[in-house]
Amino acid sequence: MILDLHTHSIKSDDGRAKVENYCQWIRSKNLPVDGFVLTEHRQFDVDSDYSTLASKFDLVIMKASEVETEYGHVLVYGVSASLTKAFDFASINLSLEMVVETSDQHGAVAVPCHPGRKRVGMFAHTEELGVPKGVKIVEIYNGGSRDNEDQIAIKNAKAFGYLGIGGSDSHIVSHVGRCGTKFPAKIANMDELVEALKSEEFKAISFKH
Amino acid sequence: MTISKTISKIMDVEFGANLPAFEPDTSLEIVKTFATLIGWDGARFRDHEAARKEGLAGAMVPGVLSQGYLVAMIHQWAPMAEIKAIDTVFRAPVIADEPHSITGVVTDINEDEGLVEIDLTVANEKGETRVFGTASVSLPA
Repeated sequence: MILDLHTHSIKSDDGRAKVENYCQWIRSKNLPVDGFVLTEHRQFDVDSDYSTLASKFDLVIMKASEVETEYGHVLVYGVSASLTKAFDFASINLSLEMVVETSDQHGAVAVPCHPGRKRVGMFAHTEELGVPKGVKIVEIYNGGSRDNEDQIAIKNAKAFGYLGIGGSDSHIVSHVGRCGTKFPAKIANMDELVEALKSEEFKAISFKH
Repeated sequence: MTISKTISKIMDVEFGANLPAFEPDTSLEIVKTFATLIGWDGARFRDHEAARKEGLAGAMVPGVLSQGYLVAMIHQWAPMAEIKAIDTVFRAPVIADEPHSITGVVTDINEDEGLVEIDLTVANEKGETRVFGTASVSLPA
């Protein structure tokens, strides 16, 4: 199955998409994705329940987070109540190594996103700050990438031995599903997604162009 | 791909329909004229070389002009539309003298309130999103 692992809804400060419209869009355009993960900026959206929408549109809808570190932005899958207390998700100055290690301790997986991007991408900082410990996966296909950002991500991921995922980084409805990640087995919930990421059996996919 | 013709009533709007493509005039001459009219004296809106010295890829189209083009695109599609809101996120500069395209798609229809939501994207020739946003548009029943 294919999941878009990086999306934002109106819960994010720069997100303009309603989740129901994402679902309508995916189905009306016959996009080849089976679901998506909402990775809202600097928060974990505890309250929203998308189970009714998921059933109505036969899509998997999960919730995760995108936090900010000195190396740029990082997706965190498998956020639990205890993890939200372990560090301040709203901070824009987290330590990447701390986020990776703490996420791992709480059964979650941290994945630097758009790592080829200036300022907010990990590889923009490795020369100055060094290669961070603990990173195993990075986002190599990002639907919002410009110039050669994806190529920088792919090249460096290969050089450092990182696995790669894909996500659209959509902030408006029509950008969902531009990139995704293909898994060999069906994934129905976040526990299964975290397990699948840890199993290292997945492949990043781009549907751009 | 469904491309909407000119729309006059909300009942004619289809979810997922593409608005007719729109190519904004990003020529430096237009940009300079616009910048003068609104009183923006910055060299970044007038001169490619000066803009490059500021770290830009070239002279840039003012964001408010891009928003104007978004409005023009919507009214080309639906001349009777009342635009309630345009909400834009500027991801990267729109560079003058470089071809860009604006695309719009209908992503929500609320017939009870007569409102249509439109996704808007300004992209360069490489297909890179420079500006994206949404518009909320009121149309007659």
